[in-house]
Amino acid sequence: MGEKKKKELTRRDFIKKSAAGVAGVGLATLSMDSLFQWNPALAAQVSAPPLKIEKNAVLKILRWSGFVKSDEQVWNANTKKWEKETGAKVVTEYLSWEDVRSKAAMEASVGAGHDIVLGWYDDPHLYPDKLLDVSDVATYLGKKYGGWYPVCEMYGKLYGTDKWIALPIGSAGICINYRKSWVKEAGFEKVPGDIPGFIKCCQALKKKGHPTGFALGHAVGDGNTWTHWWLWSHGGKAVEKDGKTIAINSKETIHALDAVKELYETMIPGVASWLDPHNNKAFLSGQISVTSNGNSIFYASMKKFPDINKDLMTMNFPVGPVGHPAELSMISQAFVFKHTPVPNAAKHFLRFMFEKAQYGKWESETWGYITQTLKDYYNLPAWKKDPRITPYRECVKRMLWNGYAGPMGPASAAAMSEYVVVDMFADVCVGGKSPKAAALAAERKLKKFYR
Amino acid sequence: MRQKRKEKFFRFYLPLALFLIFLLFPFYWMFATTFKSDMELYNLKLNPFLIHHWSLLNLKHLFFQTPFLRWLANTFFVAITSTIISLSASLLAAYGIQRIRFKGSSLMGIGIFFCYLVPPTILFIPLATMVFKLRIWDSLWALSLIYPTFLIPFCTWLLMGYFNSIPKELEECAMMDGASRLWIFWRVIVPLSLPGILSAGIFAFTLSWNEYLYALTFISTSLKKTVSVGLVTELVRGDVYHWGPLMAGALFGSVPVALVYSFFVEYYVAGMTGALKE
Repeated sequence: MGEKKKKELTRRDFIKKSAAGVAGVGLATLSMDSLFQWNPALAAQVSAPPLKIEKNAVLKILRWSGFVKSDEQVWNANTKKWEKETGAKVVTEYLSWEDVRSKAAMEASVGAGHDIVLGWYDDPHLYPDKLLDVSDVATYLGKKYGGWYPVCEMYGKLYGTDKWIALPIGSAGICINYRKSWVKEAGFEKVPGDIPGFIKCCQALKKKGHPTGFALGHAVGDGNTWTHWWLWSHGGKAVEKDGKTIAINSKETIHALDAVKELYETMIPGVASWLDPHNNKAFLSGQISVTSNGNSIFYASMKKFPDINKDLMTMNFPVGPVGHPAELSMISQAFVFKHTPVPNAAKHFLRFMFEKAQYGKWESETWGYITQTLKDYYNLPAWKKDPRITPYRECVKRMLWNGYAGPMGPASAAAMSEYVVVDMFADVCVGGKSPKAAALAAERKLKKFYR
Repeated sequence: MRQKRKEKFFRFYLPLALFLIFLLFPFYWMFATTFKSDMELYNLKLNPFLIHHWSLLNLKHLFFQTPFLRWLANTFFVAITSTIISLSASLLAAYGIQRIRFKGSSLMGIGIFFCYLVPPTILFIPLATMVFKLRIWDSLWALSLIYPTFLIPFCTWLLMGYFNSIPKELEECAMMDGASRLWIFWRVIVPLSLPGILSAGIFAFTLSWNEYLYALTFISTSLKKTVSVGLVTELVRGDVYHWGPLMAGALFGSVPVALVYSFFVEYYVAGMTGALKE
């Protein structure tokens, strides 16, 4: 009788089990949603960190100037909106890309100057002790907008901790830009998505009189990004995860350097002296058929070079022997100095600029200039405005960090600013060095930084 | 006679012409780029040395879409004030070191010269601390007061050499007539050193006019920038260089310096070659 009772399902048991089942399914759905999909209902429930703006706050912001005119226009409009909502004031200084780093470093050292800086790459990791903890804002934004891409966590958090010292605000994504008609003329429907196919396509283009062009000079954006992509795609890296063992002199690097010689043979003469503007000029003047670039070629061609614009196509960097995307794009980080007299206003401002109403408009009107760092913004309609800007939304998802696979800090920053990887490739392509000698030279330089 | 002319042509006119082409070509390139449209600049089928379709769009961009005239005014202010401050200090320093001959004066002269050799990239952080403490950050006075740190050593060194070429007897005569040191300095030394002072002034003015690092570091507001920084920050955007307006800015930005040199060229040459012929 007792046993029978145990097997029988009573009404009370049914209700309990049903409730548990429903709750279980509900929880499972909830966790699946929160893991794999952004949930607007949940996002709406995330409450912003309480930040009481200081009285008569005046925020001084230092940021890079963009080549897309609407970037500054939308940024300034969003800033005005914030001023109106809060009653605080903002003074924004725009500087060229390269100059932001030195000015921010000086201000960090002196302990005075701007409150917020929009810097590049691993700038915040050069002086982490001078920066305000922005974990509350980062956590809030991550929860609300589907989470940060893994590489953004790497860039934003102090290495080995969960403390956010910067908010990766966006990436000036880099993609392959090519001339559709010339690629067809060379016998390809489109540029292949793997490196061996890519080289074959470039060789066919060269044979047809349409050379390629990739910067091998000290180009902050264009030089660093494509050479790192080539190195990482072949399995090479500068340093191991421990940040001490130099790994550049490896068989993977040698393979990458051997392969790049084939690509170099398809390039136009003079790339060794190319800086960031040169490939734009060469592409827009019809000298080259393929290059890697942000959306500046697309943007400039929209208004001034309609013929080039019609024939322009973009795609993400081809995948190499490692079998997965391994790219580098320029990433910008917003950070707040501890010396700011208005820390709450600074954090409030950054939170405001990341909110969908502002960030969405910023992305939408800059035509793919800024690649999102929060996963939810991947689906913004802005990315579908033109098929040539759609690949740019993949850039952050596909990228690694400079100094991979080691930590970020003064060593990775020095290696980048000294163009160790770019020079290694240039040594092989134009300097006449053997791949082994170039890798050894790079190893010597890296040892100096990673002591 | 014909042979002499030929010789003169090859020895004088031809090298002079080549030298002029070499020196003036950058100005011509700036001029040509200023008046070309973007389409023409990027059209490699056209001869790049000629202007095929004249365009004023770059000038319009420079003068109406950037505060270029304001930058020019700022640069004038900074160059003139820092030159006046530097010359005043250098004249006294050079005279003191060269003529009064106090204990350690020659060592001080060498020390001042060494100050000039310290690169600004090393000095700008300590100087930044001072600028922030004096509360003159983002003010033109920051530049007017910082530039003399590299102008004074240079001008002092230049003037010391110049004072050295003025015969001491002139001062001794004035002293015998009862003139004081200050009277001698003002009435004898300064008038005789005018070419030297002018050449030091021209140098100081040019160095201040072209300075980039401190102007970039200590000035933030766009309307307070100098020409050298303003052009780069407003017309170089990422990997897009607005070559037309940039070249127009470089051309118009170099005109004042060229004028200063052309007005004072005789004094400048005299200043570089020595004071008085004995």
